Amino acid sequence: MEEPITRYEKIDFLGEGQFATVYKARDVKTDKIVAVKKIKIGSRLEAQDGINRTALREIKLLQELQHINLIGLLDVFGQKSNVSLVFDFMDTDLEIIVKDSNIVLTPGNVKAYMIMTLRGLEYLHQNWILHRDLKPNNLLINREGILKIGDFGLAKAFGSPTRINTHQVVTRWYRSPELLFGARQYGTGVDMWAVGCILAELLLRVPFLPGETDLDQLSRIFQVFGTPTEEQWPGMKSLLAYVQFKYCPVQSLRHIFSAASDDLIELLESLLALYPPKRCDCTQALKMPYFSNKPAPTVGVKLPMPTNITKMELEKPSLKRKLLDNIDGGSLVKKLQFDRI
Amino acid sequence: MMPNRVGHLPIAAENPLGLSWHDSAWIPSLNPSNIMDYFSERSNPFFDRTCNNEVVKMQRLSMDQLQNMTGLEYILLHVQEPILYVIRKQHRHGPMQTVPLADYYIIAGIVYQAPDLASVLNSRLLSAVHHLQCSFEETMSFSKYHPSKGYWWDFKANKPGMSPFNIGQSAPKETSSTPKEEPSTLFQRQRVDMLLAELVRQFPLPIIPAASSQENGVKVKSENEKDKSAEGTNLNNITIKQEPIEQSELTNGNIAGHLEIKQEIKQENMKPPPEKKPRNM
Repeated sequence: MEEPITRYEKIDFLGEGQFATVYKARDVKTDKIVAVKKIKIGSRLEAQDGINRTALREIKLLQELQHINLIGLLDVFGQKSNVSLVFDFMDTDLEIIVKDSNIVLTPGNVKAYMIMTLRGLEYLHQNWILHRDLKPNNLLINREGILKIGDFGLAKAFGSPTRINTHQVVTRWYRSPELLFGARQYGTGVDMWAVGCILAELLLRVPFLPGETDLDQLSRIFQVFGTPTEEQWPGMKSLLAYVQFKYCPVQSLRHIFSAASDDLIELLESLLALYPPKRCDCTQALKMPYFSNKPAPTVGVKLPMPTNITKMELEKPSLKRKLLDNIDGGSLVKKLQFDRI
Repeated sequence: MMPNRVGHLPIAAENPLGLSWHDSAWIPSLNPSNIMDYFSERSNPFFDRTCNNEVVKMQRLSMDQLQNMTGLEYILLHVQEPILYVIRKQHRHGPMQTVPLADYYIIAGIVYQAPDLASVLNSRLLSAVHHLQCSFEETMSFSKYHPSKGYWWDFKANKPGMSPFNIGQSAPKETSSTPKEEPSTLFQRQRVDMLLAELVRQFPLPIIPAASSQENGVKVKSENEKDKSAEGTNLNNITIKQEPIEQSELTNGNIAGHLEIKQEIKQENMKPPPEKKPRNM
């Protein structure tokens, strides 16, 4: 058990979050740079539940998942009463890139990010796992330009017809309308909606639907896509948290995403369909003309990196806190809130 | 030349040189600072909305970013206030390297694409050749030949509707065949009118008043002539016909040419009645 500690040589402190501390380290054995996430044991109260639930989820799922576009859990080791997870080291994430006004995201860049996201998510869904917390800062990117989906703290197996899930998942801005209406049984559609919102954010460089409350989130959605009727969404009114919204007409996405090509609009409409069964899945999305049409997706090494990333290498990185946020939860409370049913 | 003329409308839609665009709501307020916004209006057919300008605009970034991008972009090339603006469409390969693709000029708010030299030359040559050809055709129609006399000019036999502009398509063929026929005399025309009136009296028309149906009936024959010359079907012919005429006139913008054809047909039609005339008398 003592061996792993010597295996990873601490290079740098990356950040600290509620549940974990993250270090940049060198794997002595392979000479690879890795991120070591040391789970905090926490207070006595938390400790009595055993290991932190988020970490448990990540360990449980990631051990079985291997895909170029999913963050790789390289190792888990224990040291005294602590547990540490070793991940691929990722230089940045999509949120930083989206917010960097020095970067222009060309149509080719957007396409490259989307392909990598959808490929990773396709693999996840094929293995009956929902990510349930897709957002730009969970899409990690390394300097080779490879995007990996990170933060499996909310991921969960799906598909069991009797299983009831909580709807308090996914950061609000990326939360699908069925979750906002309190659906307890849902599928890949929740992730697809989030992917649609991320795509929209890549195009606009600001969050597409920045709702301030859950109700505000729904009204923002309907202001764009129109208030659905029972015909358009059969069964909508029987959802637990259904509320009647005032009628809004459908807006044309073409006007919102003025520079988007027609095939891209088609993909957006398919990802952001209000009625969950009408939403495409990853495989269908990847087969849409957008991905085979010009322009070609940018190759990994040519994808933009934040301008200050090299500078960051030299200084003490405060930006690396992001990485921690990803792993540790960021804006969404990782303790699931179980509503009384 | 013929297919060119016939397909005139679709070509105008494809060829941007035949287009202009404006939005009258903008025109009073146009100035150098908003002219690019005006040009990037959604309805402007000259603006490719997948260009870098629109990408940068959609991402709410500074237009300075355009310098660092590669691909299609539009720049304001020249301003001559208050009415002339020139916008260039170019492909950027690098911060210093661009290849112009097209220029657009906005005069008094109306956007046109500036033609390239080849198009200008093409167009000028084409119209020069066209007019030359018309004049030759016109001239040819006045030349006469007889084995004993040789060639001579005959300008007296003026042909109605033979202006150079409507000869264009189908007319020349007809003219080459018609000169052999003698024009009908006033007497013949009167006889035909009389005979037609007689026919109408024998087979009264339930719907259409006699006066208008006559004209239509005559015109219409152009289409049915080939297969039906029998007068027994005349009644049917008359009632059905109006349609094809109107359609043909509408679809083929060249009304003058058609009128001409009809006249010729009239002449042809007038031939049979004189043969029957003796019988009727």
